[in-house]
Amino acid sequence: MLDDFLNQFLPSTVGGLVFGSIYALVALGYTMVYGVLRLINFAHSEIFMIGTFTSLVVITAIAPASPLTGIALFGVMLLIIVLSAAVSGGAAILLELVAYRPLRRKGATRLTALISAIGASLFLQELFALVIIPWLTGKPGRNQQSSPRLVDRDTVFSIGNADVRTDHIIVVVAAVIMMIALDRLVNRTKIGRGIRATAQDPEAAVLMGVSIDNIVRVTFLLGGAMAGVAGALYLMEFENTVYNVGFVLGIKAFTAAVLGGIGNLRGALLGGIVLGLIENWGAIFLGSEWKDVIAFTVLVVVLMFRPTGILGESLQKARA
Amino acid sequence: MSTPVLQLDNVTMRFGGVVALREAKISIAPGEIFALIGPNGAGKTTVFNVVTGVYQPTEGQVLFNGTRIDGTKRFKITKLGIARTFQNIRLFHNMSALENVMVGADAHHKTGAIGATLNLPWHRKEEKRGRELARELLDFVGIPGRMTETAKNLPYGDQRRLEIARALATDPKLLLLDEPAAGMNPAEKEALQALIRKIRDSGRTVLLIEHDMSLVMGVSDRVAVLDFGQLIAEGLPHEVQTNPRVIEAYLGVSEDAS
Amino acid sequence: MKGNGVTGNANPLRRVGALVDGARDWWEHAKAWQRYAVYLGAVVFALILPAPAIGTFMSPGSDWTTVLIYPIGTYILLAVGLNVVVGQAGLLDLGFVAFFAMGGYSVAYFGTEYGWNYWATAVMGIAMAAVSGVILGAPTLRLRGDYLAIVTLGFGEIVRITANNTDEIGGARGITNVPHPTDIPGVVDFGLLPAPYYYLIVIAIVLVIIFSVRLQKSRVGRAWAAIREDEDAAELMGVPTFKFKLLAFAIGAMIGGLAGGLHAGRAVFIEPNTFPFILSATILAAVVLGGAGNLPGVILGAFVIAWLPERFREVNWLKDLLGRDPAEYRILLFGGVLVLMMALRPEGLLPSRRRKAELHEGTGGMGTMGAEVTGPDTDVSTEAAK
Repeated sequence: MLDDFLNQFLPSTVGGLVFGSIYALVALGYTMVYGVLRLINFAHSEIFMIGTFTSLVVITAIAPASPLTGIALFGVMLLIIVLSAAVSGGAAILLELVAYRPLRRKGATRLTALISAIGASLFLQELFALVIIPWLTGKPGRNQQSSPRLVDRDTVFSIGNADVRTDHIIVVVAAVIMMIALDRLVNRTKIGRGIRATAQDPEAAVLMGVSIDNIVRVTFLLGGAMAGVAGALYLMEFENTVYNVGFVLGIKAFTAAVLGGIGNLRGALLGGIVLGLIENWGAIFLGSEWKDVIAFTVLVVVLMFRPTGILGESLQKARA
Repeated sequence: MSTPVLQLDNVTMRFGGVVALREAKISIAPGEIFALIGPNGAGKTTVFNVVTGVYQPTEGQVLFNGTRIDGTKRFKITKLGIARTFQNIRLFHNMSALENVMVGADAHHKTGAIGATLNLPWHRKEEKRGRELARELLDFVGIPGRMTETAKNLPYGDQRRLEIARALATDPKLLLLDEPAAGMNPAEKEALQALIRKIRDSGRTVLLIEHDMSLVMGVSDRVAVLDFGQLIAEGLPHEVQTNPRVIEAYLGVSEDAS
Repeated sequence: MKGNGVTGNANPLRRVGALVDGARDWWEHAKAWQRYAVYLGAVVFALILPAPAIGTFMSPGSDWTTVLIYPIGTYILLAVGLNVVVGQAGLLDLGFVAFFAMGGYSVAYFGTEYGWNYWATAVMGIAMAAVSGVILGAPTLRLRGDYLAIVTLGFGEIVRITANNTDEIGGARGITNVPHPTDIPGVVDFGLLPAPYYYLIVIAIVLVIIFSVRLQKSRVGRAWAAIREDEDAAELMGVPTFKFKLLAFAIGAMIGGLAGGLHAGRAVFIEPNTFPFILSATILAAVVLGGAGNLPGVILGAFVIAWLPERFREVNWLKDLLGRDPAEYRILLFGGVLVLMMALRPEGLLPSRRRKAELHEGTGGMGTMGAEVTGPDTDVSTEAAK
């Protein structure tokens, strides 16, 4: 048992970091929306799903005969990431407009808003399964859709018995760059100040001349774009997607957000990585079929013992 | 002297760096009407929150009939015999007046899910008793004709009375009233004064927060004054009224002494 | 933001609402004999419902009685159970299917492995569901409402995946040859014919409704309502709020377990995929669509959500138009309905008057969303709740 663990420890760590980066990117959307609206944007997982399909369409259209390298790879990755971020960001704005804004206007309860979010999530999943995916791919909408290979699985370097491949590096580096960019945006720009002000005290923010609608729209756009990037990286790494790919991944990303401290951007990164690692290390002992159970158990345990997460809630103070 | 009903023993309440209450010592004898006054933000409602278990004091003890109650769960404190009303009315707005009072009466009821689902005799008896008690109390506080009315549709003054009825339904030995006269017209205030006396005469002790000085002076046996979380005076109403520190606190800091 | 003006004038749902309000007014002022007449009518209706004459319209393609048992009856039972948690206590449970699974697996496992009498396994299922409800609720019910929702969702998935990964209870293949309910000699034989199962589920539904109504009218129901409206004030009025929330969770779980046991006893076969998240969401949609907190509404909601897809499955022109089974669109529709209902009529089609008022005020157990919306008052706040 211990032998197993030592043997698989380093490879699992690499896998955990890759998964964790994707969780972290998706977690940003949950964390930002929760910070500003105190709403669990349950349909955020579908924004991620839309990102994976945007990438799928683009990759399929480019249809590289063999995996790319060098400048070509960089260019195509950039294209995929930008397009996925744009489509997902747009979808997130639309989602806010349709599913949440009418409720916000009325001062609806958070229960009401969460139910609306669940409805939107189901609707988007099924819309893709029944209409959009068949239309995009010409294949049955509930099937796994696989994508051509974009990046070779070359080992760049090894640590012990763990091979670190090109695709691993791309995922982690891209995720970290996006995080840093977002962090700067929120902490250094005017719109970022508006977001933080709204998260702390919406009424004071309004008095200071912040347009709440605008802030909410930007928040959804940014969170959605991050989920789009996550979708692109996910597709590049795992090379397949399905209409409900976001369901379990979404809960895990939410777990990551809570784990790091919901409303806290850096917490999302930390939470994502920690969750990815716990899940992968745990799977060495229990088997990979228990990964989801491990992640959900982490969620329950964190909420029970430290609902403010590792770093605490920072976009706003913890309010009931 | 007999055991005080309520005793605050050097209670300090801090929120982060803010001291809401500093080494407060209050002792209330059975059957008293005790008023707590002071400018806004002086820590009066903090006293209520400490006594009813909403806050746990940072330092010091709260004794109820000689037993420590700080750290006890809120609903248990209510069952022990302390009930309160709220400064900003917190009725169950969408329940009828009668149901509101019955929730209070339920504090001493025992039947749970099994008794209720099987409609067992003691459950029926408790329901009946609860309803009777609620009727009596609505009558007692002076809003007998309003039983089926939804709480939020009652006039403001009646809502305040309903809150008192709901608190009385828990059969408190000590009743805490948080600005019961706020928003009342002079006639209603007069009736309230009579009601507070009537509550005391039915064998309960009353602790009162109030800004309306004529009410405080007219009804209380003793008065304590809080300013910036500190107890600055305590005594008979007319003593407090002429205490220079009190006058300073009111004139110097706030205009709430009307 | 308070008050109404919430639904626009041109909103057709509003007209439905007015009709409903009228019916409810009549009911509230109805005399005892009138009420009993309605109850009697409902029971007679339930008894003759499986009649073939009704079935030919309601379910032309598949056996009507079977459809009445599953999905219709089962959904109604589940919805009444979930209503205790969501409608009465105001707690959002997204993992309700876990308790359905507990009941189903208890009947299947103890029946096949140990050869227990069906009724014993069914009671066991209810007990297991209640225990798991308490185990889940005890640590999590202190959480904020939306966190609780996600935790229950996680729990539902944990139960399903665990069943999937545990060979002892059949793993992904599930359990086959689950025994039918034990016959009651001279009264009823449970075989392959659906009728006895139908009447069994009707009895279960009636009992659960009676219990539910009695709870609602008792100290327990008042405590739940008080918790929904103002948890802190309730606690200060002597309501042990945590205990009552846990009770709601356990009662809801027991009803879910009962439904699971009944289902397994008839279906003979269960597997982890009998209990997906989507079923939790569907039942929630039923409760919300009908009107959380109001039993007739919840029952109607469950009926509609269970029956409509079955009915549309048989509409040929629709099938031709869509090029596939119209029932496949049901979840798409439920999702859309949830979004629309929340925007236009969050209290549901047949709301309870009190719930309606709460939802329009932004109370109802959970506080409002952020941005633009102030909570009523936060002076007696959560950190004090320890």
